[in-house]
Amino acid sequence: MPKILLVEDNEMNRDMLSRRLQRKGYEVVLAVDGLQGVAMAGAGGYDLILMDMSLPELDGWEATRRVREAEAGHRVPIIALTAHAMSGDREKAMAAGCDDYDTKPVELERLLGKIEALLGKQA
Amino acid sequence: MSGLTTPEAVAELRHELRTPLNLIIGYCEMLLEDATDAGQRGALERTLAAGRDVLERINATVPPTRGEISEADFAALRDALREPQGRIVTATTTLLAADPIDPQFERDVRRIRSSAERLLTVELPAPRGDRSVAITIEHPTGAPEAGPPVRPAHILVVDDQEDNRAVLERRLRRQGHTVESAAGGLSALEMVGRGRFDLVLLDVLMPDLDGLAVLERLKADQATRDIPVIMISALDDVASVVRCIERGAEDHLPKPFDPVLLRARISACLEKKRLRDIELEYLREVGRVIQAATAVEAGSYDNGALAQVAQRGDELGRLARVFNAMANQVRAREDRLKEQVAALRREIGEARQTTRQPARRGALSLPTGELFAGRFEVLDEIGSGGMGMVYRALDRELGEQVAIKTLRPELLQDTSLVERFKSEIRLARSISSKHVVRTHDIGERDGIYYLTMEYVEGITVRELLDTRGRLGTAATLAIASQLAQSLVAAHEQGVIHRDIKPQNLLLDGSGVLKVMDFGVARLAGGNANLTEAGMLVGTPSYMAPEQMLGEAFDERIDLYATGVVLFECLLGRLPYEANSAVALIARVLRDQPPVPATIDPEIPPALSDLVVRLLAKDPAHRPANAGELVRLLSDLG
Repeated sequence: MPKILLVEDNEMNRDMLSRRLQRKGYEVVLAVDGLQGVAMAGAGGYDLILMDMSLPELDGWEATRRVREAEAGHRVPIIALTAHAMSGDREKAMAAGCDDYDTKPVELERLLGKIEALLGKQA
Repeated sequence: MSGLTTPEAVAELRHELRTPLNLIIGYCEMLLEDATDAGQRGALERTLAAGRDVLERINATVPPTRGEISEADFAALRDALREPQGRIVTATTTLLAADPIDPQFERDVRRIRSSAERLLTVELPAPRGDRSVAITIEHPTGAPEAGPPVRPAHILVVDDQEDNRAVLERRLRRQGHTVESAAGGLSALEMVGRGRFDLVLLDVLMPDLDGLAVLERLKADQATRDIPVIMISALDDVASVVRCIERGAEDHLPKPFDPVLLRARISACLEKKRLRDIELEYLREVGRVIQAATAVEAGSYDNGALAQVAQRGDELGRLARVFNAMANQVRAREDRLKEQVAALRREIGEARQTTRQPARRGALSLPTGELFAGRFEVLDEIGSGGMGMVYRALDRELGEQVAIKTLRPELLQDTSLVERFKSEIRLARSISSKHVVRTHDIGERDGIYYLTMEYVEGITVRELLDTRGRLGTAATLAIASQLAQSLVAAHEQGVIHRDIKPQNLLLDGSGVLKVMDFGVARLAGGNANLTEAGMLVGTPSYMAPEQMLGEAFDERIDLYATGVVLFECLLGRLPYEANSAVALIARVLRDQPPVPATIDPEIPPALSDLVVRLLAKDPAHRPANAGELVRLLSDLG
């Protein structure tokens, strides 16, 4: 069962998205802010990270950069999630080290497609 | 104000709008996956459709490529979101009405709804990316939302949703209010009981005790009923609003609130409360004035009772000040009157100790100890005068003491005179005053006409003057005011005494003065002129000039006589003294009366002047009537 780290500060978002992913057969582990996300990603064991970009303490862009910096060898796929959904965000996310990008409100099918595509690449 | 925002602010705005939308759509899709009930599915689909409409409208107004948004566009967007947002609220209300309801399902639906509510509370982010700075949103009056509130208030926010509480608290604080919040109905009641809130914002749907129940309890309690309550609810159908208003809510605000509307409603509500408070305070103070009036009547008015009301700058304050001054005057007058009566009582007490003159026995004596006229047991003789004798007797029929006055037979020789006398006595009996000796009856026994009247245990002013010589100012005033009051009562009934003199003024032991012989004097010659025999009854010393001359006269002759009595009380002598009646009459008609204050400088000038006025030869120069005399004496104190 693929293991996803969901880094999301909004409790309702965490609740909703994690439950939806679990229903689709993923194991979801939660981090509530950027610092926690970086720490947990550093510990390893995740197949994919869903990183919200608007986070307190350390935002998603910076957290992604730190995850990437700390990585040696294995590169865990990261999908940026943002409700800003401004043009240019996608490029910005890629530049920070994300593998893909999606907007909120989440279209689950679309997001699942991206997750599966990245996990497929891994496999 | 430029009305435009920075690209960062636009991004933030999109984030603020899309985050709740994400929850609405996400939860909704998830719940749809499990929903089997057709009704439930329908409501969820309607919710989802509305959520997608919201998204479409956001994207239309703030496309990803857009770096700025005007306030007008933002306001238009918010308006555009109202309709789909309303659909979400309605659909979720249907979903929440299910009974029984799965707790997880209920929680998720509530999250959908609170997210929908958040949609319309989103504000335009501050320019320059400074999030801590209050947002300014243009609204019709042009005043900024963050401007000072009309009246800062202490507000209680009651909502079970933490998000909602937080949003409201932040907003209200920004408007300058102080805020406390409660997460449920029971804790809200407890907090209202403890604190002094100017306003309660009350959510309708709450798990422990719903808003309507809280409202009912607040309105049923005397202590909290006047606190205005604004209901906040996602249920904005007419029936729900009516329910709230009927139960005493001041207003109803549909969730989510538009911040401008919220501010306006709260201001209006607080202003209404302020006006109502002013009105209530006004009525309370009117109550105080009424209470004070009652206290004055009861003689228990406390001087400081109206101090607070008297400080008001309005008409009520003026009324209180005038009232206070009047009440103090009344009280001062009452005090003075009490002192005067006390002085009079002292004089009476002294007089009694000095002497009790034995009544002279006259030719018409009734034998004491015998029954007179079949019902009166004659006890003793208590006086004698020109008209006859006065006895104290026991009326065996009534079982009480009476005075019997016998009349010399020659006074009533003529039967028409007897009839006129009887009618005069009947008229005198109509006088009702505690300062008038009541006449009971007129009768005839063995050729002797007699009057029965109220028996007063006391002494006459004549006796008082004979023993004391003269009376002080206070005692004189006590006699004057009581005498004047008896004249008011008599003159009102059209009865002129015609023979006011110290012999006719009785004082009981407590200093109450009673005038006797109303209606009797006519018999003694009031109808006659100087040349007739009856005139010689009594003394002309107290007779007014017009009466002596047989001219037309009115009740002011009693005022003249009162002047003579007061002169005599003050100085122990008559204004005019002469060796014969004729010389006396000549002086009365010719000489100016002496001024009491020049004879005794101790006499207050105002009292002295009043006595001189009463003694005026021309009745037009005397006080107009007994009522005016009462007022003049009252002013003298």
